[in-house]
Amino acid sequence: MASIVGVKFPTPDQVAGRDRLRKRASLAYEGWLWIIGITISIAILALILTIAAKGLPAMSWEFLSAAPKEGMKEGGIWPMLRGSILLMAGTLIIVLPVGVFGGIFLSEYAGTSRFAYTVRACVVALAGTPSVIYGLFGLAVFVLLLTKHTSLVAGWLTLAMFALPVIVLTTESAIKSVPESFVEAGVSLGMSKWQVIRRVVLPSAIPGIVTGVVLSTGRAAGEAPPILLTAGIYYSTAQLSFDFEMLKKPVANLPYHLAEGYRQGSVIPEKIIWGTCLTLMLLVLLINLAAIIVRAKARRKQTW
Amino acid sequence: MKRNRLRELPAVALVYFSGALILLVVVAIFYYLAHEARYAFDRPFPYGYRFSLQPPVLEPDPYTGEIVDDLTVDPNASLLAANFEGEDGVDDKEQSAPMPTLAELEGYHPFGTGSAVIATLEDVNLDGLYRDNWKKAKPASQGDSFYLFAFATPEYDKPTMKLAWGPDAAFSAKDCPYDIRLRLVRAPEGVELDPFDIDLVKHEQGAIELPAWIAKTDADRTSGYVFEMIATPTKSNFVATIIGFFKTDWAPTLQYPRYGFVPLLLSTMLMSFVALLIAVPIGLACATYLAEIAPVRVREWLKPIIEMLASIPTVVLGYFGLMIVAPGIVKVFSESLGMTSGRSFVTASLVLAFLLLPTIISIGEDALRAVPNLMREGASALGFTTRETIKKVVMPTARAGIVATVLLGFARAIGETMIIWILSGGTAVMPSANPIKTLAAPTRGMTDTIAIEMGNVEFEGAHYGHLFMIGLALFLVTLVINLAGYAYGRKRKWLAS
Repeated sequence: MASIVGVKFPTPDQVAGRDRLRKRASLAYEGWLWIIGITISIAILALILTIAAKGLPAMSWEFLSAAPKEGMKEGGIWPMLRGSILLMAGTLIIVLPVGVFGGIFLSEYAGTSRFAYTVRACVVALAGTPSVIYGLFGLAVFVLLLTKHTSLVAGWLTLAMFALPVIVLTTESAIKSVPESFVEAGVSLGMSKWQVIRRVVLPSAIPGIVTGVVLSTGRAAGEAPPILLTAGIYYSTAQLSFDFEMLKKPVANLPYHLAEGYRQGSVIPEKIIWGTCLTLMLLVLLINLAAIIVRAKARRKQTW
Repeated sequence: MKRNRLRELPAVALVYFSGALILLVVVAIFYYLAHEARYAFDRPFPYGYRFSLQPPVLEPDPYTGEIVDDLTVDPNASLLAANFEGEDGVDDKEQSAPMPTLAELEGYHPFGTGSAVIATLEDVNLDGLYRDNWKKAKPASQGDSFYLFAFATPEYDKPTMKLAWGPDAAFSAKDCPYDIRLRLVRAPEGVELDPFDIDLVKHEQGAIELPAWIAKTDADRTSGYVFEMIATPTKSNFVATIIGFFKTDWAPTLQYPRYGFVPLLLSTMLMSFVALLIAVPIGLACATYLAEIAPVRVREWLKPIIEMLASIPTVVLGYFGLMIVAPGIVKVFSESLGMTSGRSFVTASLVLAFLLLPTIISIGEDALRAVPNLMREGASALGFTTRETIKKVVMPTARAGIVATVLLGFARAIGETMIIWILSGGTAVMPSANPIKTLAAPTRGMTDTIAIEMGNVEFEGAHYGHLFMIGLALFLVTLVINLAGYAYGRKRKWLAS
């Protein structure tokens, strides 16, 4: 009891003064956060616009549709663009089933078993594994063990591995966001587990899954290191022949073109490099835009 | 019912298969990285010493008039080494320089020469002796020995001569898993000399004075002094490779290659750390803004912009850094830091920080949003201001999630390749103790070393194996960081529920 004697209670004036200070500090803090948030966004926009502004002078239909001419000093980048699209399409086809089924496994079948925990930890670990590690693995297995030289197939398989964990994770979260009541309704109708997944859960989760798949393939298409070690050549001027042989040959593509262009020094004029950068960025951004539109449309239809 | 089950079986099997496949992928990555890294352990350990027989006081060369005191350029020096056949680079005499006859040596200094390993000294065949002796490099488990024959030419007039030795150009005995010794095998008739045995690793450079001995005929050339250089392994090849891997210089293409990856590891870690120092405060502030303060409408606009940055290919960011950021850095720091090229530690870290921003913002925002609203409402009911709510309630509750954010950002930074390749400048050196010097200097990380050097490496060779060792180290480091981040993230969910 004695201790309370020494305590001085603040006067109402002091309390009001302290409150004013606290409120001011809070306002200043909020203002600071506003400034940071807006500045960062402006900086990002500025970065994208700078690349766009630097790349636009090189842009033309010819730039996108023609092969390089005169040692890449002129002409277009179509063979590289074509290669990137080709790599992306193949990757998508390979990774789609495994990724989606993996996501279904994690969300519906795995439960809380030790095995499920291990698989989930593996997915998380894979998602954070540097892309150059996938390149090394692709080099050791798909290149040196299977085809003995860099090839389109090796690139597909490597990129598919790179894209896999992200697809699994997004599929899992898309499926988990389907309300439990849907599943319960399905079960109450006497549907089997797989029937519920197939007829109820998957249709509702499809927008989320598509977004995840598209985003991660887009990311894979822009990633240079895996292709660097497994599938790339500097540039190509040849026509593409769609046959079985094509799979066994390396393919020119945008990220490799830029990386190798840097390694070889100033062969390509700056204007064309900027144009190539812009093309690659637009390729990935457009894919993302498509994903965003899909998601937005699905959200509008979404009734839960 | 049963028929339905059967029909579903393939689908369900596929689901389990996919789950197992993910596990398999991790195991396979481990296995194959280690599998290819084994080539590092076939690493040959070359060593090389140069020996020269000289007058006690160096005289100018009778033809060029120069005094040559550097054994690596002395034309009379014999190179005794175990090294790559024909891949000398210093001189290419090893194939076609038989031991000169006395007539050919007229006017030269006293002379010594080396020879290949021979069973006994009696078997020496004069035609089979060569001035330089280069042999195929051997793993550390196999030693080697070389004989050296020393004699003076008839016109030599001094009472003594000197046997000098020194390491070959870039060879350093300190990094070498051998015990290398020089000993006297046989003194010529009529010369009294105590036998000696010199440790060449301790005394990398030196000379020993001998009574002069003159070869009168060509046949006498091998009956003079005979020395032996013996290399005996001190460590197994495995241990020597591991020790070499943890040394501090990376020079894989040298004649005596060095595969110490510590500078690469340190550079990667430091660059990521500096990038985090920049990106974490800004990114978390931005995440707080998005999660706690920004009105819904503003957030709906800002989030896609930030996500857009996340989707820009890193090679494009690298070029942006090279052509926009690097010249700017040079302009700002050229005077104060003495920078000449914009491609340096600081440029790479800056652009890396920019790359990390979207990752940190979006994971950090998730972490903050996972804090239940009840807590904010409770704080508000107690009369907390916004700042106090965030600092005293939201942040401490979300601490685990924030730690996870930082860890995942760190793993992302360590694994980034293209930005570091294009912007770091590509010189593999140890970071200096002076932080400003380190910031201004060009450097090189693990990822870009793999990406750059894998392009021109001999597949399934020692260099190739060491690149896979780096890959394995990188994989382990990111694995640990990611799993730690994952574990922290799970804690957050438990807190929130």
